[in-house]
Amino acid sequence: MPQLPRDEERSTGQPRIGTDEWVASVEGRRQRRSGVLGQLLERLGQLPFWAPLLVVAAFGLLFPFLTDSDYVVRVGFNALVFALLALGLNIVVGYAGLLDLGYIAFFGFGAYAYAVLSSNKFDIHLATVPTLLVVVVASALLGLVLGLPSGRVTGDYLAIVTLFFAQIFVTFTTNANRITLPWGDRPLDLTGGPNGIGGVDPFSLFGVEAIAVTSYFYIALVLVVLGMLALHVLSESRTGRAWKAVREDPLAAEAMTIPVFRLKLLAFAFGAATAGLTGSLFAAQQIGVFPQNFELPLLITIYAMVILGGAGSIPGVVLGALTITVVLEVLRGPDDARLLFYGGILLGLAIAIRPWQRLAAVLAGTALFGFLVHVVVGSLWPRGTARVAAQGEGLVGSIVEAWVLLPTEPGTIGNVAFVVLVASVLGMTLLRPLWRAVLLVPTLYLAAFVWENRLIFQPSVTRLLILGALLVVLMNARPQGLFGTARVEIV
Amino acid sequence: MKKLLPILVLVLAVFAAGCGGDDDETTGTTPAATNGATTGGTAAADCTGSIGVMAPITGDAASIGTEQLNFTKFAVSQYNEENGTSFQLVEGDTQLDPAQASTVAQRFVSNDDILAVVGPAGSQEVEAVGPIFTRADLGFISGSATRTSLTQSGDFPTFRRVVPNDDAQGPTIGTFIAEELDAKTVFIVDDQTSYSTGLAESVTEALEGAEVTVQRDSVNQDQSDFSALVSRAGNADVVFLPWQLANKAQVFAQQLKEQGSDAVVFGSDGLFSADFTAEGSYVSSFAPDIKEIESSSELVEAYEAEYGEFTSTFGPPMYAATQAALAAISAACEDGEPTRESVNEKLGETDQQDSILGDAISFDDSGDVEGARFYLFKVLGGGKYEPADG
Amino acid sequence: MDGTFLLQQFVNGLTLGSVYALIALGYSLVYGILKLLNFAHGEVYMIGAFIGYFVLIGLGGPDDLAVPVVVALTLMFLAAMLGSGILGVLIERFAYRRLRNAPRIAPLITALGVSFFLQSTALLLFGAKFRSYSTFQFLGGGIEVAGVRISTTRILVVVAAFSLMVALTLLVGRTRLGKAMRATAFDREAAAMMGIDVDRVIVATFLIGSILAGAAGVMFGLVFFSVYHLMGFTAGLKGFTAAVVGGIGHIPGAMLGGLLIGLAEAFSAGYISSTFQDLIVFSILIAVMLFRPTGLLGKADIRKV
Repeated sequence: MPQLPRDEERSTGQPRIGTDEWVASVEGRRQRRSGVLGQLLERLGQLPFWAPLLVVAAFGLLFPFLTDSDYVVRVGFNALVFALLALGLNIVVGYAGLLDLGYIAFFGFGAYAYAVLSSNKFDIHLATVPTLLVVVVASALLGLVLGLPSGRVTGDYLAIVTLFFAQIFVTFTTNANRITLPWGDRPLDLTGGPNGIGGVDPFSLFGVEAIAVTSYFYIALVLVVLGMLALHVLSESRTGRAWKAVREDPLAAEAMTIPVFRLKLLAFAFGAATAGLTGSLFAAQQIGVFPQNFELPLLITIYAMVILGGAGSIPGVVLGALTITVVLEVLRGPDDARLLFYGGILLGLAIAIRPWQRLAAVLAGTALFGFLVHVVVGSLWPRGTARVAAQGEGLVGSIVEAWVLLPTEPGTIGNVAFVVLVASVLGMTLLRPLWRAVLLVPTLYLAAFVWENRLIFQPSVTRLLILGALLVVLMNARPQGLFGTARVEIV
Repeated sequence: MKKLLPILVLVLAVFAAGCGGDDDETTGTTPAATNGATTGGTAAADCTGSIGVMAPITGDAASIGTEQLNFTKFAVSQYNEENGTSFQLVEGDTQLDPAQASTVAQRFVSNDDILAVVGPAGSQEVEAVGPIFTRADLGFISGSATRTSLTQSGDFPTFRRVVPNDDAQGPTIGTFIAEELDAKTVFIVDDQTSYSTGLAESVTEALEGAEVTVQRDSVNQDQSDFSALVSRAGNADVVFLPWQLANKAQVFAQQLKEQGSDAVVFGSDGLFSADFTAEGSYVSSFAPDIKEIESSSELVEAYEAEYGEFTSTFGPPMYAATQAALAAISAACEDGEPTRESVNEKLGETDQQDSILGDAISFDDSGDVEGARFYLFKVLGGGKYEPADG
Repeated sequence: MDGTFLLQQFVNGLTLGSVYALIALGYSLVYGILKLLNFAHGEVYMIGAFIGYFVLIGLGGPDDLAVPVVVALTLMFLAAMLGSGILGVLIERFAYRRLRNAPRIAPLITALGVSFFLQSTALLLFGAKFRSYSTFQFLGGGIEVAGVRISTTRILVVVAAFSLMVALTLLVGRTRLGKAMRATAFDREAAAMMGIDVDRVIVATFLIGSILAGAAGVMFGLVFFSVYHLMGFTAGLKGFTAAVVGGIGHIPGAMLGGLLIGLAEAFSAGYISSTFQDLIVFSILIAVMLFRPTGLLGKADIRKV
């Protein structure tokens, strides 16, 4: 059965731009065979556009009632802020295909602009709605300005120019408290320097001040749903289609009389306005803005969300944002991190190994192998099993203690085991399937060993370690991102 | 579809596990505390609870954060061993980013076991978490946030710190540089952090009051080469570096020497460290040389045996802060089930004799440490110091 | 300020610039062939610096060496270059190879993932502590030119960096491998059709780029002392900037870009303000980019459609 190209354009009956249909469908068939995950995502991808919207809205509405902890709501709020940022970046990167590394600066600009207009810093306290209007317009204008070089500078050169802009923004906000103008005698203080601006006014909408996290959560939810809707409309519009044409081939687009430069500017402006608005929300919730809020690692995180979810796909980037935020947050606590770690391994195995008989064999083999090693080492070198499991209360602890080697001085052994683990995982990718299955057993055990002896003691480092590994593995498994469509670049 | 089912179940299971236990994770730092050598012998023994620690464990300031975390872990395990308690520690990485700090703060507030918090490290982080902790009546003690307004504004009634604020330190340093070192020109280089600019401001004020010519510049914390700046700063009599990273200051001092300058380097807190060995330099510190204090030297040895050598002065104040927090929980226990309010109240009554910092520690009403003292040292090189003035 | 001061800044900028140039070369080589921004390159440099450090400590430390200084230096450089080279090849093999034909942004994110992974690995294995080469009096002495003191280490670093650049230029310009590299960079598919083993060329490119990064790591340690797990991030950013400013994919461009940024940093810190050093340098660079959108020496991409 011939495959229709899977893309959001399909519903409009337009042919896909920039891909040869047959080539694209070959890619699609290959994807189709590539596993359960692919199938699952494809089914999800075929849902009408309002389905994810509805899911986000409904789940979001109920979410604060599902928990009594402000922390969980706060994480939800963070996830929504990231989702908004990802949506904005999706316009620039996903639709228009511009590598904008200065995006983070608009987020910062929105936050600082809001803080300057609504705080004690200069004793200006504008009402929320006019402030937001000013911020959005100003951010969009700034976006236009930053977009100007995109007429001449393209590709990676554009990336570096925008990156400079992001760097300049941080340097400026960190030091704008000590600029002495030639005609002034006292240094001008615009941004509070490294101290930032504190005591920012909360949002006040319809005469109600938003103080609680839950209020901000709902504001963010409304913005995300509106953003998804707007983005969908935008993507189906003339402008949206023109953006994609520019992304796929600016030269051909130009030849088709598409005003390429103007469209690029427009994409920058839209992206900047979204980021600026999000920045204001962020500043109001944090009751302050600080230069450290807007550094490069954050930009990288947002990019990872967009690319991981699938640039160009609206539910994709939202899902990407939610997933990464939740994963990073869960990894903070050693108990949850342990579940996530073992759960993630099981999930990965379940996806990668079929038929299930083989999976069962591997798991049983690993369990057996572990007990065997434990018994042997326990009798030869008692100190190797002597330690009490960290975080081990109840059943989990007893299982860990009976199965994993826990030497009394785990430091160095843990480090060595970690290096061996990485080497062995890498080595496995080179082997034939049968040998791979055999090597898998000790590797899995080694993973458990490293986790219980080394990683669990340093949850904060492990968090970043796992994020890095996750990005590499996921990008290698699905280069187009979870929901992205496989694109074939025609040279 | 058949194949999809088990996968879906797994996905959901993992997801549920992820969403489920958002509270009550605790990091056990009680290695072999099971032998139950109860020496305290009071009701404190069956007192349980956790404290949270916020520090920049990863990111640019990881070298400081790791020591802060390790000293906190060490303090908890020491306290548990001495008093037969089983207090637990929950760690939260802030990367020195106020946004992360406030998420971590919310997480701590939601964890009912947590009765007091040690940290966060930076002044702007305190600003960000202050409102959250204030609402929850949760006491928090920083071991390094020195901005004066944090306590003096009265905005954060549950905030306390074991180190003196910028206003206390600036004038002392200024006077010393102007009078003892007899400097005519001073070049001040801050490192663009809240701590550093604050101190630089107050020293500048003091120096200008004494009619010393002051020039200012700054470097950012990522910078590793200062040779260009050194060429400019080298002509001053004294170069004042209110920095946190001793290692970078060492490079600065070395490059001064390399370019043939004889300017005297004067550093603050962070530079009182084994990594800063430029002979003839001066450092001021809120902590005495704890390796030289007899009562603390045993602790230092025990710490280094477990966590390796420490190089900054950011760790020991966290030890003192942790002790204060744990003592407050124990004290609250004696009046019944400890709550955050009661622990916070007891924190206010803290009266810690012979702290690791050498002096007694207690807090005044605004949350500042009482009787803050400063120590000035002349660096003799090779980890040796000589008290300058007194 | 006078001539001495000017010369002093020139020396400062030259040292820093040659380290940047070496990093930039790695970026540029890889970009030329794969059109990939290898953001993990900075981490390769960091690992190189750490390897050099551990060799130095293993030999007894800077003040108490078990072997003559020259031997120690050679060993440090060799070990760091070898280690970094292997790491670079491993990264290519396991992280990038499968992504050769993927959308361009996928390997970019992978590179960031590798970068996070290596940073955290270094943090896990080596700890967050700053380590110092402490090579303050390593080579002793130095020379004095027109009132400016230049330490031997600085001279050594600049000379070594330039020799490596000359060697690289010869390698790319005069050898068979170099020819294959140029051909692959020009058109990968056509090169493959001409019987060039593209995989081998790519591996060789990563190897060479990473070797240069490893050497740069040791040089940095020798002159600026501190090594730590995040050092690759800033340096990588500067190297990337240098590569792009010079014209990415262009070898002399990368060298020029590196030196230019080093000098620009030194002069703005020396004459204007260290606070706004980055701001000034970046503003200059934006201006450069606006007038020459493909970098100083880069040629505009002429595309046939």
